[in-house]
Amino acid sequence: MTLRRRVARGWLALALGAAGLAACGGDDDGAPTLVWYTNPDNGGQATLARQCSDASGGAFRITTQVLPNEADAQREQLVRRLAAKDTSIDLMSLDPPFVAEFANAGYLRPITDAADVAAFTDGVLEAPLQTASWDGQLVAPPFWANTQLLWFRRSVAEAAGVDPTAEDVTWAELIDAAASEGKRFGVQGRRYEGYMVWINALVSSAGGAIVEDPGAGAEATPALDSPAGRAAAQVVADLARSSAAPADLTTAGEEEARSTFQGDQGAFMVNWPYVYAAAQASVASGAITQETFEDIGWARYPRVDARLESAPPLGGINLAIGSFTDHPDEALAALRCLLTVEAGTQYMLESGNPAARAAVYDDPAVREAFPMADLIRDSIAAAAPRPLTPYYGDVSQSVQRSWHPARDVDPLRTPADTASFMRQVLAGERLL
Amino acid sequence: MNTTAIRSRGRSRGLSGATGDDATVTGPVRTDRARHERRLGLLLAAPSFLVMVAVTAYPLLYAVVLSLYRYRLTDPGGREFVGLRNYATVLSDPIWWGDVVTTTVITAVSVAVELVLGFAFAWVMYKVLRGRSLVRTGILIPYGIVTVVSAFVWRYAFQLDSGFINQWFGLGDFNWFGGRWSSLFVITLSEIWKTTPFISLLLLAGLVQVPHELLEAATVDGATARQRLQKVILPNMKAAIMVALLFRTLDAWRIFDNPFVMTGGANDTETLSFLAYRQNVSLVNLGAGSAVSVLLFLTVVLIAFVFIKGFRTNLGQMKGQR
Amino acid sequence: MDGRRTSNWWSLWGALVLLWALFPLAWMVSLSFKDPATLRSGDPGFLPSTWTWENYRTVFDNSLFTAALRNSFGIALIATALSVVVAMFAAYAIARLDFPGKNVLLSLALAIAMFPQAALVGPLFDMWRGLGIYDTWIGLILPYLTFALPLSIWTMSAFFRQIPWEMEQAAQVDGATAWQAFRKVIVPLAAPGVFTTAILTFFFCWNEFLLASSLTSTDSARTVPAALSFFTGASQFESPVTAVMAASVVVTIPVVILVLLFQRRIVAGLTAGAVKG
Repeated sequence: MTLRRRVARGWLALALGAAGLAACGGDDDGAPTLVWYTNPDNGGQATLARQCSDASGGAFRITTQVLPNEADAQREQLVRRLAAKDTSIDLMSLDPPFVAEFANAGYLRPITDAADVAAFTDGVLEAPLQTASWDGQLVAPPFWANTQLLWFRRSVAEAAGVDPTAEDVTWAELIDAAASEGKRFGVQGRRYEGYMVWINALVSSAGGAIVEDPGAGAEATPALDSPAGRAAAQVVADLARSSAAPADLTTAGEEEARSTFQGDQGAFMVNWPYVYAAAQASVASGAITQETFEDIGWARYPRVDARLESAPPLGGINLAIGSFTDHPDEALAALRCLLTVEAGTQYMLESGNPAARAAVYDDPAVREAFPMADLIRDSIAAAAPRPLTPYYGDVSQSVQRSWHPARDVDPLRTPADTASFMRQVLAGERLL
Repeated sequence: MNTTAIRSRGRSRGLSGATGDDATVTGPVRTDRARHERRLGLLLAAPSFLVMVAVTAYPLLYAVVLSLYRYRLTDPGGREFVGLRNYATVLSDPIWWGDVVTTTVITAVSVAVELVLGFAFAWVMYKVLRGRSLVRTGILIPYGIVTVVSAFVWRYAFQLDSGFINQWFGLGDFNWFGGRWSSLFVITLSEIWKTTPFISLLLLAGLVQVPHELLEAATVDGATARQRLQKVILPNMKAAIMVALLFRTLDAWRIFDNPFVMTGGANDTETLSFLAYRQNVSLVNLGAGSAVSVLLFLTVVLIAFVFIKGFRTNLGQMKGQR
Repeated sequence: MDGRRTSNWWSLWGALVLLWALFPLAWMVSLSFKDPATLRSGDPGFLPSTWTWENYRTVFDNSLFTAALRNSFGIALIATALSVVVAMFAAYAIARLDFPGKNVLLSLALAIAMFPQAALVGPLFDMWRGLGIYDTWIGLILPYLTFALPLSIWTMSAFFRQIPWEMEQAAQVDGATAWQAFRKVIVPLAAPGVFTTAILTFFFCWNEFLLASSLTSTDSARTVPAALSFFTGASQFESPVTAVMAASVVVTIPVVILVLLFQRRIVAGLTAGAVKG
């Protein structure tokens, strides 16, 4: 501890003491307390923290600190603490696209023991597994994984004569179907990470990528100026200019899309599986009828090109150990408890967040709670991660900035503009 | 009204007696009282001075230093000296200039509307007999309310799925936050609602100081209400108006909370403070971010300079607060 | 009589001003009592179709919010107390003593009153993490204290100038000791100014958002304005409109209480030092 730091701490203690607010004491039992920074959920992570503390037999205790709601804000909070070399971050729940940036900055403690690596990666679905490593080392094993499905109102699809469960159904067909029925297609079009999720899925489904050689960091090559980039922009532009565009397209996140979809004008929506449980809750609270609930169907993420399999979005959370932790061994032991199939099953049932391991989807209780369990599993396996680059923030924000608002997207110009903007941003020649 | 007016700032009463300040003054001081007074004055002023310098001037200098580097916290190895290149990047960037325009629009519109509205409110409070203190109490609530809360309240009132505005005014599903100007309208509205009370109370303080005899004389001379306003009231309130104008302009120029909560800067509603926040805090791009910070500071200096030169207002005669 | 009619007219205008000031508050309270489940589907009116306390239970069950409330009170009160004490010295010196650098201090205070805080978030963050006071109470108290100082110095020196300091001497002539004279005569005269300044400073610290969200990252120092954007619904995607409003009502209550109790003082403080002539 530097002198300056000690003096500052002294000041802090003085200020607290002056107010008669003694800082709360440390642990009396001597067991180290691990702090786990979690993304907000319904308490599932806190439950697991408690269970694993108990199971450790007094070796450690895990407490949770909740991060903000949105992915960008979660990253912001963690980066600021880690840049301050904060020893209090023992464990963190990390959105997969940020793994590369954190690992590259040396914020994540690699998991090197072969037995641990095997235990944390065996049976994990392929797409989430891709996001777990940096530079050939396992740094952030997947805790749970997420993907978006196509949700549809059976009555509308039927009236429009379209089969959303058909393998080769495309965005264009669905947008036309919704428009012909005077209904809306819910997507995430606000300027935030969720919009990037959509764009990345469209570009990947069209067989392209937003960035080539993402591992090259600032030297990576933007690849949006391609047929796939233009095809993706075409979908966004088509929807934005169609009568199927919801009124709040440019400000809609997951919840706004769900609200449109559950309402009178709902036809289709791309969204995470939480919407199923949320719709059930809406029935319970009387916001929608049982009839509406039964009208909801689900299918694989639609295609951009009828000949190419779609690449659904990948979400979820990876767990990582902070580099500056004072308790690396205990943190690793905690991971051994948090990353089991059993923990994944329990978490999926309790929080509604899908597991990263294929085996969980065979659990009878999971299959009962999630009638679309197989679809979720297959969709996660086939999903396309967002670019795994240490400059992900720059990549994502330059896309969001160039593609927002959706109604101004021009398939001929926007992808090319984005690519050149991104190149300048990565070179430090432009602000974001 | 309980307005404490300052006539001449520089005048000092001096210590009124040798034992007048027993807590701090010891020993016989009658002979070199002036010297002692100086020492005591410096001693008492020192803590304020030191704190203000330590928390603002020093970090500002530090920002100047940082702004000469390419430096991103998440890429500590990439730190290098780049001279003034960050400034060149910022000043040639359309985002910076777009934010200058947005900030200028919000500042100009909100301050103009607040002056008119604030004067109207001050006039009402001046004239109203029954319930004057009720009105004054009510108007203080927007002043005291947390800006972030005000932003959320107005956002939810206009937002499509939770708001009542569209329903009340028959606007169907118009998306207020879907376009630049409608977003700026709501942002500015929240700003105006929250800060008009401050202006109106300042103007009220100026209004009660307009000499009654002058107004009566003008009425006797047959001046119309408009003439009285233009010839008697406004000239006598000039100082109060200047104070309100300067402080509200510089305060509005710093606007951050409202766009942050309402739009997150989408649709070209980002302001300069927001840009500085994003570069420094979100992107932890301390090099370019510090350049933005320094430039933001310079814009404030420029505005203050223009005001003080342009209106020849004596700095010492005014004060202001949020 | 004509005057009566005019008076009624002005009362009407006064009512309109009140409506403008309080209407958004009514909306906030109304929204905080709406049922979050039905908010998005079919409850878009001004008043709730069914009233519920659920949102208040949600926010008070949320350790995020209760911790933030504690931080907000603690930080605002300590910063206010420190700022008022430090500023009191300076204001006394400015009001009563002749010393070199008086104008420098006043100009510095004025400059800081206009200072764009956003220009400091980067360097302060970097300095604070070096000093180890990032995400601590003291890390927020220091800048709050600083940015509240100009307001406190100006307001209090304006009040202090009005104190008839000669009375202290008179009391001593009448046989009081110096301490008695100070305590019995000066303190009661100075107290209202100090108290008013404290209220205004508290409002500032209570309100602050930019630094609170830049210089904190956990429950240990995050204040309510910064915590509002951390709220979440049943899943991480659900937005907690009604809970945010309930929390907003809670943080507005202290403001309303202070305004109701000390309306006159706040107005006096806000306009203290306003210019004459």
